[in-house]
Amino acid sequence: MRAIDNDPMFRKSMVFCGWTGFACIFFFIIGGVMLGGMLPPLFNSAEPAAEFARKVTEHAFSLRLGSAFMVLSFAMFGTLGAGIAAQTRRTEVNPVFSIMQGVFAAAAMTIGVLVAFAWGLAAFRPELYHPSIIVTWIDFAYFMALFSVPLFGGWCVVIALPIFWSEEGREPFPRWVAYANLWAALLYAPGMLIIFFKDGPFSWHGIVALWIPYIAYFGWIAVMSYALLAAVKETGDEPVMTAAAA
Amino acid sequence: MLDGVSEARGEAALSSSDTARTNPARNHIPGEIGIWLFVAGDLLVFAVFFIVIALGHVQQPEVFAQGRALLNMWVGVLNTLLLLTGSWFVAIGVDKCRTTSKPVGSHYFALAILCGVAFAANKTFEWGGKISAGFTPATNDFYMYFFIFTGIHLLHVIVGIGVLLLVRSVSRRPALARRDIATMESGATFWHLVDLLWIVLFALFYLL
Repeated sequence: MRAIDNDPMFRKSMVFCGWTGFACIFFFIIGGVMLGGMLPPLFNSAEPAAEFARKVTEHAFSLRLGSAFMVLSFAMFGTLGAGIAAQTRRTEVNPVFSIMQGVFAAAAMTIGVLVAFAWGLAAFRPELYHPSIIVTWIDFAYFMALFSVPLFGGWCVVIALPIFWSEEGREPFPRWVAYANLWAALLYAPGMLIIFFKDGPFSWHGIVALWIPYIAYFGWIAVMSYALLAAVKETGDEPVMTAAAA
Repeated sequence: MLDGVSEARGEAALSSSDTARTNPARNHIPGEIGIWLFVAGDLLVFAVFFIVIALGHVQQPEVFAQGRALLNMWVGVLNTLLLLTGSWFVAIGVDKCRTTSKPVGSHYFALAILCGVAFAANKTFEWGGKISAGFTPATNDFYMYFFIFTGIHLLHVIVGIGVLLLVRSVSRRPALARRDIATMESGATFWHLVDLLWIVLFALFYLL
């Protein structure tokens, strides 16, 4: 474990990162659930393009405002991910997994904000767009969110492995966090089915391919935010070391 | 030297699972808390899958009855027996690791892995036969659910085979620490979960 006695910012930084995770969930509930119509899905993958256009026109302001909140929410994948990587870094001599986690977090943040961009663009000027273009933007948003399983699932795996492989008492996070990450990775997998189905539970509006991965993902954010905040609540400047010594 | 290693292994294994060995019914939760979190979570999600399948039965009884009639129940029975046998081998393997000083448990884990591989092969042949006969996930909702949900379960089996390979590797260590026993118990718990999920899927697709 790396010494941080001479780093008075450690606790503040980690608390900041942990709370940005909860803020991410909060802003998604406002932007994606209450305003944006991403979850529950305002659109149905199987409905005609004209119906997409009608809904976008009818809810244009709400969708635009919702996409603004979603950009805010999804940008926080980066701060949460940085906190997780920093905590993992403290257990590594050569920082392989923490670098991988940083890469995955950056990619997840990029994909996340693009989801919100696509959502916002669908509602930007629907009066000029051909309905099929609106369908494409909505498809694009859900594909980036759900079809990128190796990205979001891989992130979970590279968080879980260093926990499992650490010496006993020197894990960056408790071992149950590793199991929670593997479980989350498994739950994202059905998202890849959306390429084969336009209707039913495996399409991008269905319970298996949309609801389960989304709930798993935001549940995972809550777990990791809690884990970060718990790590800094331990006594001393080196929470895991202190716990192990005790 | 071998005797020394065996003694060390035996003492570590016995002391690490003392509670389980002396009184299995009392105060011993196999594995780690994390694996039980995983099991509970996975059961919750599969409960949603089972409800989706059951709703399909209710909403399209004829389609589901026709689909079920075209499945070979004995293929499902064979797969059920393979997984149950695999679970039996895993349970014996964990018990041997807890109670004996020799690494015989690894043989049972190897047999369980073979059961898992045979399950995956049998499932692949079954799918291949259906697809060659013209039944695909696009045929109707029954086959869509059949291929997707048994596919998600097969993903669990493949992950489970990987977990058992890890468990087998741990079981061959010359000395078993308490954490090693917990790792083996956690792996075994996951394999039993895979077994349990299949039994419900088998009932929903082949029997009901």
